[in-house]
Amino acid sequence: MDEEILQDFLVEAADLVDQLNEQLADLENDPTDSDLLNAVFRGFHTIKGGAGFLAITPLIEVCHRAENVFDKIRNGDVDYDADAAEVILRAFDVISDILEQLNDGEREFSENDPELLAKLDALTGKKPPPIDEPTADASPAIEPTLQLPEGVDPDGEMSDDEFEALLNQRDSVQSVSEPALVLPEGVDPDGDMSDEEFDALLNQRDSIEKNSAPALSLPEGVDPDGDMSDEEFEALLNQRDAKTKAPDVQKTAEVPSPVVPPQSASKPAAKKTKSATENKAKPAKSSTESTVRVDTKRLDEIMNLVGELVLVRNRLLTLKGKNSNREDIANAVANLDHVTTDLQASVLKTRMQPVKKVFGRFPRVVRDLARKLGKDINLELQGEETDLDKNLVEALADPLVHLVRNSVDHGVEMPDIRAAAGKPKTGTVVLAAQQEGDHILLSITDDGKGMDPDVLRQKAVEKGMMDEQMASQLDDKSAFELILSAGFSTADQVSDISGRGVGMDVVKNMITKLNGSIDIHSVLGEGTKISIRVPLTLAILPTLMVGFDEDSYAIPLTSVQEIFDFNPEKTNKIDGQMMVRLRDESIPLYFLNEWLATDKPKDNYRGDKVVIVSVGNQRAGLVVNQVNGQEEVVIKPLGVMLKKALGYAGATITGNGSIALILDLQGVVKRFQ
Amino acid sequence: MDAANEMSSFGNEIAMDDYNDEPSYLGPSTRCVLFTLENEVYGIQVKKIREVLRVGAIRKVAGATYGVLGVINVRGVIVTVVDSRSMFNMPLREVDDLSRIIIVELDEERTVGILVDFVKEVKDIPDDKIEPLSASKENASRYIQGVAHFQDNVIILIDVDNLFIGVE
Repeated sequence: MDEEILQDFLVEAADLVDQLNEQLADLENDPTDSDLLNAVFRGFHTIKGGAGFLAITPLIEVCHRAENVFDKIRNGDVDYDADAAEVILRAFDVISDILEQLNDGEREFSENDPELLAKLDALTGKKPPPIDEPTADASPAIEPTLQLPEGVDPDGEMSDDEFEALLNQRDSVQSVSEPALVLPEGVDPDGDMSDEEFDALLNQRDSIEKNSAPALSLPEGVDPDGDMSDEEFEALLNQRDAKTKAPDVQKTAEVPSPVVPPQSASKPAAKKTKSATENKAKPAKSSTESTVRVDTKRLDEIMNLVGELVLVRNRLLTLKGKNSNREDIANAVANLDHVTTDLQASVLKTRMQPVKKVFGRFPRVVRDLARKLGKDINLELQGEETDLDKNLVEALADPLVHLVRNSVDHGVEMPDIRAAAGKPKTGTVVLAAQQEGDHILLSITDDGKGMDPDVLRQKAVEKGMMDEQMASQLDDKSAFELILSAGFSTADQVSDISGRGVGMDVVKNMITKLNGSIDIHSVLGEGTKISIRVPLTLAILPTLMVGFDEDSYAIPLTSVQEIFDFNPEKTNKIDGQMMVRLRDESIPLYFLNEWLATDKPKDNYRGDKVVIVSVGNQRAGLVVNQVNGQEEVVIKPLGVMLKKALGYAGATITGNGSIALILDLQGVVKRFQ
Repeated sequence: MDAANEMSSFGNEIAMDDYNDEPSYLGPSTRCVLFTLENEVYGIQVKKIREVLRVGAIRKVAGATYGVLGVINVRGVIVTVVDSRSMFNMPLREVDDLSRIIIVELDEERTVGILVDFVKEVKDIPDDKIEPLSASKENASRYIQGVAHFQDNVIILIDVDNLFIGVE
């Protein structure tokens, strides 16, 4: 398999699959929209085309059948009802799976589930052809790839021979791994069968089971229309056995069709099988290159700015040479400042993708889940066009899926309960995105039953997370935030959907990793709103710079809560751990110099500062020498031998050209525990 | 990658025309950067080396593994600097004027700086002068690709890939 073509195909197919996902969900709301039906048909067709080129047989099979179904649907022969949708969505899943496996470097695929293929066939009204009655039903009209033999007028009458040839052609084109058996020509399907003919059919079936149908070539000098000597027949048989592949028996011993030599029809199939076996020999493991599509206009803009940058450089170089005055230099530097700022913004924009990419999968998620649970749920998507950094788009997908599933599973009630509560039977889940300054705000809102803070408090006590008095002191908001702690689940019944209490803390951690925050708002009986706030981009991080003499360290600003002077009178040692009192709360103190500046005296912290940070759902106080203020930094990964050093998220280059290390607070806390 | 270009960053204590005057040997050869440690000459293939830098400010990283001196900024890329003496279990020594950091490209994504005492020159070592170490050597010397006896020198050729094998 040509890896380059494969990669191109995967990129294209990924787009198509995304589109299809959306279109299929839309289709359920409006199953008769012909534009949509055509679009879906084209989607499957295009994937099939690519798959055909690369000979990915199972993919071709499924796409081909799905395409047939949609051909029927758009012609009005079949309705896209719930059952059809179920089967199509399953087919769609199979397609996504295969593409994913291809992405992972898998090059060999197991056979498709015959049940699914049969169901797809059933949708087009075609029954899987039984062995002894091969070509009786199935209309040839659904075959988009059939070609009339040359010289035949499509509108004119067709001779029986020609029709027969077309049927044959269809059968050989139709399926690559499950070809229908073909009766030898000249045999009346309704008539009796001779032993020989039956044998031939059996052979044919046996060899087809081996899942390949290469064309046998007639020995040279043999007239395909003429009679065949026993010798020639024998040779052909040997040829077939040697290949251990399926011959279409009709092509060999029996009189071939006079109009279309069957070889020509099945040759492509044979080639495909051949290349499929070839690439079995060398399964190539490859990683997909990750790509972004960028508007050419945007690239032009960048090119233009780079041009400007070069001009500024030239200017500075000339200024460097001669004894130039300060004003000239100041001008050039100001210019440089502008150009870089613009360039930075433009380059960042190329990484931006609409949040639609993540949202697109949700209609399907909600639909499947609602169906499974017997709920009636309408999903509303808002602000799909909001742009987000590509990495963020990918990183947010999983946490969002989790939260939406939670809303559907725990939030929205069953229809009868909703009706009893005086709410519309159909629940609503709103998934919204909007930009707020340099942040993106994502929210998942449901109009379900909401959360009861008292139940949460009680659960916390039951789980031994706190005593009753502590729990009763929690305000409602803190009570809601309990659901973000590990092992906390209020669901009485654990389902495969949610309720194992492993989800929300993972979500919380992932969001924290993205330097984001989660906010929960819930009203009992009215619904829950979970808001996630993440920075627009992961590349640039607002930080608080702290330091020990010359060494500076950056703390992600989103985690910083407050800063105050270190005061020994406000600290006490509890169980070997220094704590600081802050408004009735004791917060553990970590003296960073014990780790970062071991040569400093350990007893004099006069003049030091305490930076209170939130780590997960706890707080910690970091004692540092100086606080140097805020700085936006570009995160650069630490290299060889330092990737696993605990406590660092990376490094950055500060305004004065020196290197500052960015602290990973979770790691820092771990280091001190 | 053109070795001659790279060498321009060496500084002037290296006689650049030194290797141009070498008698030309027939047959394949490997171009190496030679450096010294404790009076021994070591060589690293030029094709693995991006540049050689003077030692500037090395930012210490607390809590790093023994031998890791810290990180430096090589035109916007943060590169780890490792002391070659610690890798070869030699006593450490202060950085001086002759110390250099050899920037080695392990692969497309991993770059590492190796601090050495002194960078000597660039030389083409004929492949037939290189004696591979027998494969049965114990683990400690797996990073030694071979030993070359060449022009009165004993040059220990280092396989940098092996040196950093399994290192994250």
